[in-house]
This record gives sequence, structure tokens and C-alpha cells, in this order.
Amino acid sequence: MAIVNLKNVTYKYPLTDMPALKGINLRVNKGEFVALIGPNGAGKSTLCYTIAGFVPHFFKGEIAGSVEVAGMMSSESNLHEWVLNVGLAFQNPFNQISGAKYTVFEELAFGLENIGVPRGEMIQRVNDAMELTGISDLADRSPYSLSGGQQQRVALTSILVMQPKVLVLDEPTSQMDPIGTREVFGVIRTMAERGMTVIMAEHKVEWIANFASRVVALHDGEILLDGRPTEVLTSDLLTGKGFPISRYTSVARKAKETGLWEQERLPIKLDEAVGGFKR
Amino acid sequence: MLDRIKKDFNTMTWVLIPVAIAINIAIGQLVLVLKLPVYLDSIGTVLVGVICGPWAGALTGALSNIIWGIAIDPNALPWWPVAFFIGYMAGRMAGWGFFKSWWRVVVTGFVIALTAAVVSTPIAVYLYGGITASGSSFITAYLLQTGQGVVQAVLSTGFLVEPVDKITTAMLAFAIIQGLSQRFVARFPRPENASTEGANQTQLYIAVGVVVLLVLFAAFMLRNILGG
Amino acid sequence: MHERLSFFVKRDSLIHRLNPLTKIVLVLAFILVAFISPYFWTPSLLIIFGIIPLSYLGGVVRSYFRAALRIILPAAGFLFIMQALFQPLGGEELFRIWFLHPTRESLEFAFVNATRIFVMVSSFTIFLLTTHPSELMSDLTRRGLPGQFAYVIISTLQILPQMQAKAQTIIAAQRARGLDTESSFFKRAGSLFPLVGPLVFGSLVEVEERAIAIEARGFTSTRVKTSLHEIPDTTADKLLRWALATFILAALALRLWLS
Repeated sequence: MAIVNLKNVTYKYPLTDMPALKGINLRVNKGEFVALIGPNGAGKSTLCYTIAGFVPHFFKGEIAGSVEVAGMMSSESNLHEWVLNVGLAFQNPFNQISGAKYTVFEELAFGLENIGVPRGEMIQRVNDAMELTGISDLADRSPYSLSGGQQQRVALTSILVMQPKVLVLDEPTSQMDPIGTREVFGVIRTMAERGMTVIMAEHKVEWIANFASRVVALHDGEILLDGRPTEVLTSDLLTGKGFPISRYTSVARKAKETGLWEQERLPIKLDEAVGGFKR
Repeated sequence: MLDRIKKDFNTMTWVLIPVAIAINIAIGQLVLVLKLPVYLDSIGTVLVGVICGPWAGALTGALSNIIWGIAIDPNALPWWPVAFFIGYMAGRMAGWGFFKSWWRVVVTGFVIALTAAVVSTPIAVYLYGGITASGSSFITAYLLQTGQGVVQAVLSTGFLVEPVDKITTAMLAFAIIQGLSQRFVARFPRPENASTEGANQTQLYIAVGVVVLLVLFAAFMLRNILGG
Repeated sequence: MHERLSFFVKRDSLIHRLNPLTKIVLVLAFILVAFISPYFWTPSLLIIFGIIPLSYLGGVVRSYFRAALRIILPAAGFLFIMQALFQPLGGEELFRIWFLHPTRESLEFAFVNATRIFVMVSSFTIFLLTTHPSELMSDLTRRGLPGQFAYVIISTLQILPQMQAKAQTIIAAQRARGLDTESSFFKRAGSLFPLVGPLVFGSLVEVEERAIAIEARGFTSTRVKTSLHEIPDTTADKLLRWALATFILAALALRLWLS
């Protein structure tokens, strides 16, 4: 059963001439972890916003095709209903702090207050979510006093506490230092292991290879490739277009030309590379 | 009408207002530090009034004043209606197309100044008896000595003191909007108020010229009043 | 620099435990009585027998006196001097300097006004010292204030210190580049622009993403909002509010009857 179903979606932002998305066909099943890769301007963010409902309800503009997520049709729903089923987190952790609350606990409860969850259940959900993402020790801190990684984890938790069916992440670790990146990916992995459907735009190829069950390569608003990480990330179609490519893949590709790499499949990770070179 | 007002308050408006209030206060304080003879504490208010409508502007002004009163100087508290009307008039004038070029912005600034003078007069008269804790009260005091009625003296002081501040405020708000991308402004409820028809250099020089003339005029009047 | 902007002092006092609305009514009572009363000694009485005991009851004596000495007294004092000297009320002159001629009437007038303002600001200060902003907003929202207003107020209180810190940074950076903040008028006026630009545009850029973030948390939801914190509203609170309301009406009636 497809929980995300985009059929022939074409979208143009207001005041622009070129469509940001062209004829997108995408089906995602429940529990899949889909990584979105592509150069800047390829439409990754736009696609994320489309699945999350912000395109077209927040950004306006012209949309064609059908967008169906978690049983809702984009053309028939409101944004405030859509966000109950689809969670969205993005790059800048600071801008995801609401500013309306003085402590992390209250910040996490903010969304639940807005949608009218009863107090008892609210407190339970926040405690559970904090434990899941490992931020219980931050409960009484001010969100503004946290590090980037901590803020991003709070942002993720505040979305998870809403219990969405699909989680959309737009380059959540782009602004993190290595520690922050590891912390954030830790949370995402936990959610994936619990069966959450995740769609994540990301540059870090090695992390994708570890997490994703599927990779979609976007180029110029269109889907170029859609398949397993080992196939997509090593495909020759990605070269020369600005896609993130693992350095091990690039090295092996070059080595293949001179016969130093004999295997059919190119490596993505270090251990794959080390194991595969001709002795 | 209520629907139009509701439309003016979308999520972008609600997120902009705190930022606008913070801009008001930050620049207002900066001006105090630089010891300039202006307030410049309503730039954010005018900004919101223009791209989010008169009521959003009014709310921004009122809250801005109240929060300044809470956080910095409680003497500012009674003056919130003035800030309310500054935001409201900015929105109304912008709605009538008076925020689309430099000279029109100067006119808007002037109208806002007059509004501010008119609205602040009853507060000054009934709450303070005419002499407030502001430096402009020296002018009021002198006018009172010459036999003018309280209301007239306060109003005259306002008409003298406000224009430079409010016209500069409007021009700065206009400059800020020029610096924002069209895409960004389009997210707010009333982007059409900010669409420009010829915000070119010549008009800017003319506008600055008008302000300079006004300053000279005010100084001339002041000298006459104090010397006479 | 404070991490967050509020006067609030954390205590467990009688006043702290009062419901926020009760405290608002109390402040209103102070202000209205001070301004309605025709007697020049009323505001002073309110200060001695109302404000100061209240600061004891709220456990915020030191904080209140610090605020009173640093902010309220100077402002009221300046007002007193301005009005005493400049308000041309008829009567016997006390002395004459230049065009200033204070009379006993103007002194009394100035005294009344200054003390009235003092009462107004003081009662409000004590309110702020004993009420946490989020508690106030939670209570008002429960009573019908739209959630967006609460959002705006608290958000502003948190953004302000950040903005002020940013302003300090920009000023320091510009000073390092040779920008003078203490020279001639024109230099000072000119220095305004490079200071204002980064400050303003930097904060405006955040607006769009923050709007998306709070939309993602149901900011525009049409459901009835609930509240994490439960602010108690005891019978004592309700009785106190009624008593204060009656007192205010009595004061109004008295004033009308006297005039």
C-alpha cells in the first residue's frame, strides 16, 4: 500500500517561469526509507515541501497532477489537517524553534497544545518522545541555550510528538558539525527502525548507503533514477551533473578505466572499496 | 470586512510582528545611544502596516509600545494609542497606493506625523497636563508662556517635532522593503502595497531634499519662537 | 545579557500564587484610584500603604526598590521638575528664573501627577516581578485571548535580547572598522545605516522558515487549544477580584458625588 503517491506532478513557484518539478511520479510504501539526492536547484526541497503539503498550500503557485499522502488528497485538504499526518523538519535548527516557549518540555508540547491534545496525554507523549530521542535531560533548558545538534534533535522530537505517519526531512544535518550530525542521524535511525516512513533529502552519501532502502535522484525537477542505494549511488548517470558521489566510488570508477578495479559494481563505502581493489 | 482582516493575519504576519517589534526597539535604542534627535522607533510598525495591512500595523505599534514600557522604560506605556495609529495610518496610506515611490512615501510619512501629533495630544493633556517627560516639552512650555492654550501648545509641538522623525521612518521602511526579494514579500497578505513604480535615484534625491527643507523649516520656526 | 527578557523573579509568595487576572485587576485598581481621586495625597498613600507592603508580600522588595530607584523615581522626578517649573498655573509665585515661575499650585499639580505616574508604574512593576510571562499568557489564552497573541508576546520577549546582542556585535564590528559612534552629528547619523542593514535583513530572513516550522506544529489548527500548564484560579482569587471591582466602583461613585 503506497503511503505516498505522486502522479505526474508539475509545480511552478509564483513569479517564476520554469517549473521546479516536472512530471514527478513517485510511490513510497509504508516503512520505506527514501533518500533524495540531487544538485542544488534540482527540486529536492520543493519535493519535500510537496509531500509535506506546503506546496501548494503555503507557497501558492501552480500545481498539476495528483498528490496523495496517507489517505489525504492535496487538492481536497487544508494545510493544518495535512501536518497532522506528515511531519517536516529542515536544515536550520534555530529557525525551527517556535519562540513561544521558555523550556524544551513546553516547546515539545507546543504542537500538541495547538491541536487540542488533553493535558494528561500531552505530558505522556512528550515524555515518551524525549526518551525515544534521548533528550530527556534537556527538558528544563531554554531551547535557545542549546547547541545546533541539540536544537535539531528537539526540532525532530517536536515533530515526532505529533505522531505523523510520514516524516519528511530536508537536509537535516547540513548545518551540523560532525557530533551534531551523528546525534541527528541517531534519532532518524531510531525512527526508521520503528517502522516510520521517512523521506530525506541528503548530501552525505555514506550515511545514505547505511540507512536508506531506496534512493531517488532528482535532476532539474525530474526524477533521473529511482532504485536501490547500491545501484543508484554508483550509477554512471550521476557523473558530471553536480550529484554528491562517494569519493570511494569516484576513485574506483577512475581505477576501473585502468583495470585496477575489476568488479562490476563500484563501492560506496570505505570497507567495500578496500575489499575490492585488485591485489 | 472581518474576512479581510482575518486574511491580513496569516502565519507570516504573526511571525513577522515579533521581529518588527524587536526591530523597533533595537533601532530605537540605537538612536538613543547615537544621541540623534529623533525616535526612529516605529520602522517595524510601518513595515508591518504596509505589507500586512492597517490592523496588523496597529497591533504591532501597540504591542511594541507596551513591550518597550515593560522591558525598558515604563514611561512609554501610556502612549500606545499613538503607536497604534502610526501602524494603522501606514497601512491605510499604503492601501491607497502611497508607498510605491519615494515621494509618495514622504507624503505617507508626513500624514503619519500629523496623526501621531493629533493622537498624542489628548494623552499629554489629560494624563500629564501638557508637560510630559520628553525633551519636546521644553517647546510646549515656552508656547504655554506665550499664552497659548494647553491643547494648542501641545499640538503645535507635535506638528513641529514629528514630521522629520516619521518621514525618515517611512523612508527607511521603504528602503527595507526595496531590499527584500519579491518572492519574500509575496508571502505576506498585502504585497501589492509594496510593488514599486519607479523607485529611482532622482526621486530619492527629491525626497531627501524635501526632508532637508523640512528640517530647515523646523529649525527656523524654533528660532523664531524661542527668540521672539 | 539576560538570556530571556522578563522582570520575573522566582518566589513562592502570596502574590506569586495569585491568579494572573487577579493581579491585573489589582493593578487596574491602583491606577484607577490614583487617577480618579481628587485629593493630592491619595497616590502617596497608595504608595506607602499599598505598593510597598505589596512588595513585601510578594517577596520582591529588593528587586522593586532597585527598579524604583533606577527607573521609576528618576522618571517621576524629572516629570515633577518639568511640571513644577513649566506649568503656568495661576497663583502666588514662589520664585522666578528666566521665563520659569513656579507657583504653589503648579507644585501641587506636579506632585499629584508625578505620584500618580509613580503608582501606575510601580504597581505594574510589581505585577511583572511576580508573574511569569508564560503563566500570564496561558491564563489569558484559557480565558479567550487568541493563541496568536500569546505567541507574539512571548516570542517578542525572547527575540529582543537576541536582537540586542546582535546589535552589540554589529556595533563592535563597525567600530573595529573605524566607524565612530561618538563624533559629529553627521557622522553619527551616517553610521546608522551600516548598523541597521545587517540587523534588519538578518532577522527578516528567518521569518519564512519560522512560519513554516510553526505551521508544521499546527499553529493554524482550527481545533480547540489545550494547555500544558494548569493555572489555578481559587475562590479567594474570585472573591478578591469582586472586592476590587466593588472598590473601584465605589471610588468612581465617590468622585462623581464629590464633584
